[in-house]
Amino acid sequence: MKEHEDKYMTEHDDRQIRDALKQSFSPVKTEPRRDLWPDVLRKLDVCPVRVPWYDWVLVGLSAVMFLAFPRLVLVFAYHL
Amino acid sequence: MDLLQRFAHGEIDAFETLVRQFQGDIYAWTVRIVRDPGVAEDLTVETLWRVYRARHQFRPDGNFGAWARRIATNLAIDHLRSNRPEQSFPAEPAGVQQPDPLVQREARERIQQAFRRLPAKLQVAATLALVEELPYEEIASALGTSVGAVKLRVFRAVRILRKRLSRAGIRPE
Repeated sequence: MKEHEDKYMTEHDDRQIRDALKQSFSPVKTEPRRDLWPDVLRKLDVCPVRVPWYDWVLVGLSAVMFLAFPRLVLVFAYHL
Repeated sequence: MDLLQRFAHGEIDAFETLVRQFQGDIYAWTVRIVRDPGVAEDLTVETLWRVYRARHQFRPDGNFGAWARRIATNLAIDHLRSNRPEQSFPAEPAGVQQPDPLVQREARERIQQAFRRLPAKLQVAATLALVEELPYEEIASALGTSVGAVKLRVFRAVRILRKRLSRAGIRPE
């Protein structure tokens, strides 16, 4: 009986929490206030898409390896 | 070549068309999570920038909207994580009734505070499911998880909130 009451109270409390949560947050306007494309374009200009430094290191290492061991090119080509 | 293929090849005109088509959807999704128009605008711009940066990973036969929404969700989660309020509110004796409207407003603010202190992933699931009442399938898709996992997060969020509020002596009406 006690267990049943506890379960009922918990479910009741949970429902109250859900309702309170809904009341606590006012609805938000889901339309953007302005066109965001100019901001996106500006960001693309300011932060151009760059190849990270470790990719350049990898390219450099690969070039050195291919020069030192030309046969590796065949192994590499096979795995492509 | 269709629009998505052109985008994947890095054509800026194609990207502009997609931005104009999807910015409203991405903004709407983000503002529902962060509940601040200014922050939502910034995050939408950041999302679209990341979308362009990751264009090589996008399969032109895929769903652009769902892909962008997932990126937006991850960014919103990161934002909530980094802006999580630190301080907790002082505990009060349990069972205090608050009939006064002013006190009720205070209670609502404290519920919001307590909610903002939940782990970001729980907060997002609970906001979208309980406050926005969106379908669990839609939430699961944006979070990249299963419907069951979303339900579990919502359940955990409610339980944690209930414990914290009861410890602070707040009883939701």
